[in-house]
Amino acid sequence: MTIDTPRKLTGVRDRVDLIYRGVTRSGGIIVLVIMLAIGVFLGLRASQAITADGWAFFWQQAWEPDSGKFGIAAVLIGTFLIALVAVSLALPMALGTSLYISEYAPLGLKRTLIGLVDLMAAIPSVVYGLWGFFALQNSIVPIARWISQNFGWIPIFAVTGADPNDPLATNTLFTSSTFIAGIVVALMITPIMTSIMREVFSQAPIGEREGALGLGATRWGMIRSVILPFGVGGIIGGTMLGLGRALGETIAVYMIISPIFVIQPHILQNGASSISSLIALKYGEASPFGMSALMAAGLTLFIVTLIVNFGASAIVARSRSGASS
Amino acid sequence: MFSRIRVWAATVTSVLVAGALALSGSLPAHAANYVPVSGAGSSWSANAIEQWRTNVQQYGMRVNYASTGSSDGRNQFKSGTVDYAVSEIPYGITDGGVTDSRPTRGFAYMPIVAGGTSFMYNLTSGGKQITNLRLSGEVLTKIFTGKITKWNDAAIKADNPGITLPARQVVPVVRSDGSGSTAQFTAWMASQHQSLWDSYCREAGRSVPCGTTSNFPVVAGKGFVAQPNSTGVAGYVKQRANDGTITYVEYSYAKNAGFPVAKVLNKAGYFVEPTPSNVAVGLLGARINTDLTSNLSGVYNNSDSRAYPLSSYSYMIVPTALQNNFTTDKGKTLGAFAYYFLCEGQQQAPALGYSPLPINLVKSGMDQIKKIPGVSAQSIDISKCNNPTFSKDGTNTLAKSAPAPQACDKQGSSQCAAGTGGASDSGGNTGTTTGTDTGSTTDGGTTTTSNNGAIGAGSAYDCNPDTGVCVAVAAVPVTVDQQPSWGPTQTVMLVSVLGLLLLVLLPPTVVQVIRQRRESGK
Repeated sequence: MTIDTPRKLTGVRDRVDLIYRGVTRSGGIIVLVIMLAIGVFLGLRASQAITADGWAFFWQQAWEPDSGKFGIAAVLIGTFLIALVAVSLALPMALGTSLYISEYAPLGLKRTLIGLVDLMAAIPSVVYGLWGFFALQNSIVPIARWISQNFGWIPIFAVTGADPNDPLATNTLFTSSTFIAGIVVALMITPIMTSIMREVFSQAPIGEREGALGLGATRWGMIRSVILPFGVGGIIGGTMLGLGRALGETIAVYMIISPIFVIQPHILQNGASSISSLIALKYGEASPFGMSALMAAGLTLFIVTLIVNFGASAIVARSRSGASS
Repeated sequence: MFSRIRVWAATVTSVLVAGALALSGSLPAHAANYVPVSGAGSSWSANAIEQWRTNVQQYGMRVNYASTGSSDGRNQFKSGTVDYAVSEIPYGITDGGVTDSRPTRGFAYMPIVAGGTSFMYNLTSGGKQITNLRLSGEVLTKIFTGKITKWNDAAIKADNPGITLPARQVVPVVRSDGSGSTAQFTAWMASQHQSLWDSYCREAGRSVPCGTTSNFPVVAGKGFVAQPNSTGVAGYVKQRANDGTITYVEYSYAKNAGFPVAKVLNKAGYFVEPTPSNVAVGLLGARINTDLTSNLSGVYNNSDSRAYPLSSYSYMIVPTALQNNFTTDKGKTLGAFAYYFLCEGQQQAPALGYSPLPINLVKSGMDQIKKIPGVSAQSIDISKCNNPTFSKDGTNTLAKSAPAPQACDKQGSSQCAAGTGGASDSGGNTGTTTGTDTGSTTDGGTTTTSNNGAIGAGSAYDCNPDTGVCVAVAAVPVTVDQQPSWGPTQTVMLVSVLGLLLLVLLPPTVVQVIRQRRESGK
């Protein structure tokens, strides 16, 4: 009697397989190496400024690196506020669009709509910036004014110095604000959020859909009971990817905001800041030390964006819809 | 089905080939003699450079220019990423405690054009745009340091007896990027109103004495707005809804935007506009250093009644050594371009909103061109340049023939009603003008300094209104070939449009075709 031993599997790899594996593997490794190199480069260049500034880098509200007064506090919070406005406007927009495209739109229209949304992603950000500065700003100011008049009691909507009873009150208080920059960024992140959500919704199992409909659910009932629970990972993941993009958006924000370096919690008021627009604004004229300070700001943004993106992919991977995709 | 693909492919190839043929066949032969050069810097003088570089395209020169701000231009030149830079201030100025170090590559300054840093504003009163505002230096400084916050402030009223000013907030719009305009303006404030400027700097957390700075310090909560680039600040002010804004920007931007500029009080007690002739008069006070940079305190304090106090020059920083990828071929292009704008280009300056360089600076500039490696030196008879400042006896014609300010422009109880800057066509806010002289500011149109002529046009003679002597200065029009209705540019455009269409349409068509083939094959 011989004991059964499992047969040893020797895969015969022909040349094509080996080449394919080599190419994909080296591609993956190169991406990781580049990411790491960027991080190391930023860290090295930033070390001079961070060691000089110490912990003050994280709480100081100023950006005068050449006089030794600089910190990330105001710009980082400004970045988050712009991203917050953008995401809270883009989320309902993207959710509605993707649900309509995947569940309601007739087949012919579907393709056109998908193309249109993808086209939105193809518009260069400088065009969004120009449009926001020259066209949107004037039309949005009355809305900002209305919000601040009626909801000014909520601290973030307050605008200091605005007097609704003064007919000559200046318009400029409501321009170049976090709010306007946020609206423009919202339009820029909607396409990516929409396409991720649409992709996930379309993967909802057909059996469950038919089951819900067969049990007498309306289409909206089916969406609530099947599509949304199934696609929740995609919604969160898409939103966080959008957030990642919103944090890094540069030129459109640079063109619209009037940069200030103190924490500006009033989103409707003139004056805002973001890390990427700070870098775009200052790198051209920075002294070597100023450049190091900008690198430190860039490192902060790099780490924050990495965390957001890893978080997004983790959530997407853990969800039911993500596991299959 | 293969035949359809084949037809497609044939069409594509034939279009591409036809385009390539059209391109190679019709490009002018001399274009190959010049290699492209690229530069970056000042947005203050960008409108002039933009015009010049468009004009030299007819000679086959490709001169690229990125209007990214003087500070950025100087830094890019220093790090060797551009062939030339344009800046209003030289290297070596200490700004915020840091001295802007000189580049290691060889360089020389070359003046390119003069102009006035003007104060463009957007202000209405009773539904009508105010176009004849006047501001004294102290009021200007107080506005841009947040001391004056309302347009109906007593100090502004005192300067403007003829205007009913609204109780609007003054919103100063400043540059957010490092800028030569900011440097010009802050240098003037530091020189003329040092205590006001220093106290503002202290509020902004800068060390005093503040001096010249390229980065305008902004104090949060004062209602200042900061925008990048000259186009940014001018674009912000010109939005009709932004009533009450004022910014500092080169005169040409206000002209292009159709907006008025404030008349600024000079040492003689007259409010003057930065017209080309007033700038030329103002700059008679400039002291030129040996490296051609200038000391402007004589301009600020110029006691001529026609002098505009914030007049200044803009400089090109040109390489004098073959470093950082600068080649003799590039030197040839840059030198030819420099010869063009120092000679012929200057006559267009007034029409663009700048002021032409006087003869001494043109001569020195021509000497600087010779330092560019690879330049093919030209001996230009500069009397044929038709520069409106040149004269037989070496004096500055433009400054000499500048009209004297009107009596209503004198500090006091009267105020001229005529509009300024880009709004000079529209009548000013007449309000309660008490002055008797309300005529237009230009003097009967006898001088070529009137700034409404088309570029290169103008009357053939410049007649001095005082002496009646006429000098032939006017331009021989720059010859521009009539644009052919169909040229290489159009072909390239057509080919790229077709290419783009193909890029979009081809993949789905191919997929469709393949799918149909598969289905029919089943």
